[in-house]
Amino acid sequence: MDPNHSSENKKGFLIFLGRRWALIFLILECLVFSFTTEAFFSLRGIQIVLFYGTTIFLLGTAETFVIITGGIDLSVGFVMGFASIVSAKLVVLFTNMGVSPGVSILVGVLLTWLIGLIPGYVNGSLVARLNVPPFIATFSMLGITHGTSELLIRGVPAKNLPYLANAIGNGYFIYSVPGKVVSFFQKPEIQRGELLLEIIPNMVVIAFVFILIFAFILKNTKFGQHTYAIGGSTDAALRVGINVKTHLIKVYMISSFFATLSGTVYMLQYVTGKADAGAPFLLDAIVAVVIGGASLYGGIGTVGGTILGCLILSVLETGLRIMGVPTFDKYIAVGVILILAVLIDQFFPELIHRED
Amino acid sequence: MIGNGIGTVQLKRSSRLLIPVAKNWAVIFLFLLIAVFSFTGRGFFSLTNFQNILHLSTIFLLLSAAETYVIITGGIDLSVGFVMGLSSVLSAKIMQLLHAAALPQPASILIGSMVGITISLIPGLVSGALIARLNVPPFIATLGMWGVTNGITLRICQGFPISFLPSKLVELGNGYLFYILPGRAFSFLHKPPGLQDTQIRELIRIFPNSLLFSLMVLFILWHVLKHTKFGQHTYAIGGSMDASVRAGINVKKHLIAIYTLSSFLAGLAGVFNVFQTGIGNFTPFSAMYELFAIAGVIIGGASLMGGKGAIVGSCIGAVMIRLLENGLSISGVEPFYRFIAVGLILIMAVVIDQMFPELF
Repeated sequence: MDPNHSSENKKGFLIFLGRRWALIFLILECLVFSFTTEAFFSLRGIQIVLFYGTTIFLLGTAETFVIITGGIDLSVGFVMGFASIVSAKLVVLFTNMGVSPGVSILVGVLLTWLIGLIPGYVNGSLVARLNVPPFIATFSMLGITHGTSELLIRGVPAKNLPYLANAIGNGYFIYSVPGKVVSFFQKPEIQRGELLLEIIPNMVVIAFVFILIFAFILKNTKFGQHTYAIGGSTDAALRVGINVKTHLIKVYMISSFFATLSGTVYMLQYVTGKADAGAPFLLDAIVAVVIGGASLYGGIGTVGGTILGCLILSVLETGLRIMGVPTFDKYIAVGVILILAVLIDQFFPELIHRED
Repeated sequence: MIGNGIGTVQLKRSSRLLIPVAKNWAVIFLFLLIAVFSFTGRGFFSLTNFQNILHLSTIFLLLSAAETYVIITGGIDLSVGFVMGLSSVLSAKIMQLLHAAALPQPASILIGSMVGITISLIPGLVSGALIARLNVPPFIATLGMWGVTNGITLRICQGFPISFLPSKLVELGNGYLFYILPGRAFSFLHKPPGLQDTQIRELIRIFPNSLLFSLMVLFILWHVLKHTKFGQHTYAIGGSMDASVRAGINVKKHLIAIYTLSSFLAGLAGVFNVFQTGIGNFTPFSAMYELFAIAGVIIGGASLMGGKGAIVGSCIGAVMIRLLENGLSISGVEPFYRFIAVGLILIMAVVIDQMFPELF
């Protein structure tokens, strides 16, 4: 065999691995946890990963759009808390007015999604029209949403939500008793001792519907192309005739929409609204985006990569919890993985970034 | 054409008036806040309260000074809050152990503080090396250290504050240089002995120890930044990395030194926190020390792009945030408004900076 050819092959293999290091890491992680714990490799274990991951999936997607344009959104965590409170308050308000729980949840959530566009619009306007650095603009918005949500609840978490919220938030998409019944959304009647399989939490379905839509928009539409163009070079984007200001405002609104979405999901899952509901997830969201291959300088990143990054974090957290390791170690691991991700990117740029 | 000419003349005249206002807006705003709160809050305009504000600002003054250096180089240090927690918890743990082993109080306090401060150099060295030698963006490197130091801190203290520390700590940390009982007693560092309760209430306390401490540290930092080669190089790196490399500055070493300094100051703030509270407390997520420290620096006129900033400005920014919190709470405004207020001031700072770029 030609030695040159085999070294080409070897390099090709390395490139193959280098581009997929995150995926390989995820698989390794899953293998390790499957062997060290009994509960991890099971339908239940995997669904716990998805259930706890919902917040990071959504916040990660929010952050992806902003980071691709070369910005950052520090406000997502508290916009999420703000949305959880607003939606909880609205739902309680409507039910107290005598509207049926189903309708009040629907209207409350939809209204919250609308309200949730406001922080994004303000962020975007500050960044695009007044040239405020994204870091500062979104940090100010963090303070403003934090203060507003604390004022809305005055220190007491929102409560008295209808039971239906819990049923929706913690329900599953498919229920099945193997060999007998399959039903969607509704829990079937079962006899004692029968095995009921609950497949895919509702909230994961809702989250992924939106994530897929926006992943499609980012990948296949002009809007997505322009987002990458602005991140690559704002000047070039301007010269090509892209309306950078409007576009940036839209991007920050998308980010704030996803944060709001995760706030309403939180409200349904935990049946309450809390100001600091999303505070610990800001770091996780940014880390997931960076692990997913995005660059903080803008122009690079995909929703798929971000979801992979989110899964790595979520599997890590769930696995460590099942193993009974104190969650403190999670922070150390996340910090180390973050730095490793960037180092791999720095040292093997030719392996990871395609040259086509 | 003529209209245009008049326009520029008018602009010049108005900008001649505006320049000093816009340049010193932070100081003016600070005095405005003091004036407003003096009317709205009872007891705001008093020696006790002003000393109190400065006492409570100490940690933020140190962290803002740390961020000033980093931000001037065009970087950012997100780890200061948790490095502070690490040095708090670590030094408190050691003090607790030594105190329990019946070592004399001064010795255990000294050893604990030294260890806390020394260990706090490590995160800075690591993030500096990552940034300077391995080209990791500052945001990521320090965010990584944020996670690592937080994890280690929580591991040491298991999620609970560390207490049972030497009692001298709080006496020192919350003490004053002078105590005066008008016409009767005067003492230095310690309360005059043998006072009754009513007399203690009349006791006038002057100059908190913490202020002396922060003034000393800040003076050194101010001097280094303004009058030494190290400071000049810091500005040069922030102005243009390439130019400084070409001018022969050892940029890598300098950056490592800057991040180590930042981490050291965070460690100092952490040890001071033990003196102030008498316990070793970890940093909760919602504290966001690093963000408030950065806010202070930005209000003080620095730019996140680098090359701009000053210690005095950052101190004004840091004190302004504390003063705002103090004034709002004394005026009976709900505490939650302060988050909103800080956000708005921050936006204002940057917008003023953007509108008059030629002034700065």
